[in-house]
Amino acid sequence: MAFYLKVLEITSLFTILVLGAYLMTGLTGLFSLGQGGFVSIGAYTAAIAYLHLHLPFPIAILLAVLMGSLVGFLIGIPTLRLHRDYFLLVTFGFGEMVRAALLHLAQLTGGALGIAGIPQLVGLPAILASIVLITFLIANLKRSRFGRNCIAIRDDELAASLMGINVYGHKMKAFVLSSAITSYGGALYAFLIMFIEPNLFNWLESAKLIIITFVGGVNSITGAIVTSVIYYSFGEFFRFVDVWRDVLLALAVLFVTIFRSGGLFGSWEFSLTKLLPGKGRG
Amino acid sequence: MEVLRVAEMSKNFGGVSAVSGFTMIQKENEITGIIGPNGAGKTTIFNLITGVYPVDSGKILFYDTEITRLPSHRITALGITRTFQNIRLFRNLNVLDNLRAAYGVKTRYTLWEEMVRYPTVKKEEREAEDLAKSYLVYFGLEKYSQSFPYNLPYGLQRRLELARALMANPRLLLLDEPGAGLNPKEIRQLIGTLLKIQEEKNLSIIIVEHHMELVMNICRTIHVLNFGKKIAEGKPEEIQHNELVLQAYLGDQV
Repeated sequence: MAFYLKVLEITSLFTILVLGAYLMTGLTGLFSLGQGGFVSIGAYTAAIAYLHLHLPFPIAILLAVLMGSLVGFLIGIPTLRLHRDYFLLVTFGFGEMVRAALLHLAQLTGGALGIAGIPQLVGLPAILASIVLITFLIANLKRSRFGRNCIAIRDDELAASLMGINVYGHKMKAFVLSSAITSYGGALYAFLIMFIEPNLFNWLESAKLIIITFVGGVNSITGAIVTSVIYYSFGEFFRFVDVWRDVLLALAVLFVTIFRSGGLFGSWEFSLTKLLPGKGRG
Repeated sequence: MEVLRVAEMSKNFGGVSAVSGFTMIQKENEITGIIGPNGAGKTTIFNLITGVYPVDSGKILFYDTEITRLPSHRITALGITRTFQNIRLFRNLNVLDNLRAAYGVKTRYTLWEEMVRYPTVKKEEREAEDLAKSYLVYFGLEKYSQSFPYNLPYGLQRRLELARALMANPRLLLLDEPGAGLNPKEIRQLIGTLLKIQEEKNLSIIIVEHHMELVMNICRTIHVLNFGKKIAEGKPEEIQHNELVLQAYLGDQV
């Protein structure tokens, strides 16, 4: 039972990270391989604030989110004007840079040994509540002006700017918001797993976030969440297929991209209001 | 009243002069045409006015405000919108949302308010939707409101793009080959529509076009370009008999 609970906790935690990636990659079309950098920044900021600065737990989390947003903003200033491919490369570099910095700033971060002895202050209820809240916020963005503008930018940047949409400003907002969510996920990670080290989330893990977003469907938050839950828990429940896990996943991705290029869920969204009869437009 | 003044505008692409020393004045409530053979620099002029490319030299004034170095979205906010030679709709937004994405009224709420869906957000969403729907009715697209744009027939895509440009609440409309790919019946419809919206909305329109019937019927002034230079300017009947224009289009007579 404890095993399944653990799997559920980790799956839910990673789903928060997928939501962060969804906002950026799914909605706005910004491909980042540097999400891992923000996970680490969130985790380390929260852990250091709590253990070394003796700040209360909520303040430590808040600090982690603020730090993630600030770094996101600073990284965004020069990179968000870049063309897609270059943006991908720069964020990749950023993620690796964070990893290297954490390794070498040993006095503060414990270097390769990481930081141990973080108390477990986060459980499944807190993570699930976070998912509900974040999903609510992102879903609201998606169905209103900001979300439409993001999709317009993803579809055709030039046309979007000529329809009066501030492309750079929107990308910045999406990027900073995504960084905030991702570093929040990182902070929760520290207080869930109780141990962090520089390699906790490398670029391959960042790439998986993008893949999950695409397999689920870039136009569907529901798709991102469901695919994330399936992917991360599948791995644990199907330990017996062992090395074939990655092969199976790769095959699944291949089939989806070939036969369902809009992702598993297309643009379908789960909706509470549709389940309740007699409700008008929300 | 002067809507747009372009003065001595030039643009080179790697040594090729795409537009050189182009000058024009657009008066209020008038329809102006820009014609010329392929590659004459017509679309480049639109791209320069709307800030897609920076100009190399020259000045652009819109209602006496200099817009020469402004980013595209600011120029649009001031009141210049356009359509594209190759239709550029947002493929992942449905027809209604394509229009709503261009809604020209400034956002009156913060990102946070949008995330928790404040009443102001709902109100503005409804305004945008109502306006978008009225344009769908105006252009006879109401039954496609939930379809995706690239599932529409070509002629309707062109109409949708025109509607989207109007949604941004322009004072000057730039139409890049609005008649391309339309059949004669659709062209006549387009002429009717353009004249109608021009009158109803007190719009000024500049049209880049190959289609002579369209240009000669509705433009008060026509500018003719060849190799990036203006070779003639005048009323349609003057242009039709202009020696240089005939040469540019038909070649030298031997």
